[in-house]
Amino acid sequence: MALRELNSLERFLGLKKPNKYSTQGGKKVPVLQNNNGPALIGLVTIASHLVHEAQRPELLGDSAEQRAVVQQWLEHRVTRLDNSSKEEVKVILKDLNQYLEDKVYLAGNDFTLADILMYYGIHHIVVELAVQEKERYLNITRWFDHIQHYPGVRHHLPPVVVLRNRVYPSGHH
Amino acid sequence: MKLYISDGNPQGVKVLASLELTGVKCEIEAVSHEEKVVPYLSDPRSPVLLLPDGQHLFSPNSICQYLFDISGQKATDATNQWLEWEATTLQPAVLQSLHMVALQGKRGEAAAVMKEPLKWLEQSLGKKNSPFLTAEAVSVADVVLWAALYPLLSDSSFDVGELPSVRGWFERVGDLHACQAAANRVLKGKGVEALKTFLQKHPASQTQRRDSPTN
Repeated sequence: MALRELNSLERFLGLKKPNKYSTQGGKKVPVLQNNNGPALIGLVTIASHLVHEAQRPELLGDSAEQRAVVQQWLEHRVTRLDNSSKEEVKVILKDLNQYLEDKVYLAGNDFTLADILMYYGIHHIVVELAVQEKERYLNITRWFDHIQHYPGVRHHLPPVVVLRNRVYPSGHH
Repeated sequence: MKLYISDGNPQGVKVLASLELTGVKCEIEAVSHEEKVVPYLSDPRSPVLLLPDGQHLFSPNSICQYLFDISGQKATDATNQWLEWEATTLQPAVLQSLHMVALQGKRGEAAAVMKEPLKWLEQSLGKKNSPFLTAEAVSVADVVLWAALYPLLSDSSFDVGELPSVRGWFERVGDLHACQAAANRVLKGKGVEALKTFLQKHPASQTQRRDSPTN
């Protein structure tokens, strides 16, 4: 799964030559074989490396504050979201929904790598949400729909239908 | 800028050490383990850094990286990789091991939990000629890993076997005044005993998770 994400990220970034990946250990942590140096290990590390390779550093944040916020949500993705039990998922969704209340993207007004990897990581959860849950997590649904329609992001994942008339009710934005 | 920190929280060590080492000026406020600092999070978290623009950083590693970043030491592939490994692999093992030592008195089993991650660290350090993890000088990666391991490795009765490269590196980082001061401030010379209250409120069950379904 992580390897498909990295392939999609490469395509989003417009990287011409595809990289070679393998996985390591029981958790299948992605490994990037690097011709010029030691292998890189870990989804966040490799994804950040690809962003630099594509010369799109703004996707990691263009100020120290924003870089830290992006880094924080990338870490959240691999430490909390990826290992969560059903009970923990509820807390993660509730908190993320609250966080996104006044934001367009995870790092505020700018689209970053955090949005891409959180979208890839949360897709299997959002797919399973019932209509009422999509309404309860209104801000996540709005953000999710935004990211899945962001040019070039979705790739390997099927689109999720959100009820637009419910997702954008009058009085909310 | 304001740092919220709670007593006897092992994650405080890395943040306080980074603060001292980078010399960044920041107000520090002590909070209880139950205090909700970040408005959108259900569970109380600390340490938390309130950024100048009003955002909260609730990840200790992101706080450390931020402090190094504004001091002119940008993240690299190498520092990113160590920080990711610390958060995903080392930290769960450390938390589980601390629980066994401080609350269950199972030192042998606690050492067994640390065997794999320490072996990986030993192999990685053994391959390098530099005194620190990523360079000739100390980086955020050294501070974060050293602080995570400090409560366990500073305990002479915690027997994890021969780890010459880890021991040498651990002493080099620990010799830094900033690291000593941070460890003393959190552990107060009492070792893992000082972490008991924190550990009782933070069950280690989270650390024994199944593999990620998305991987």
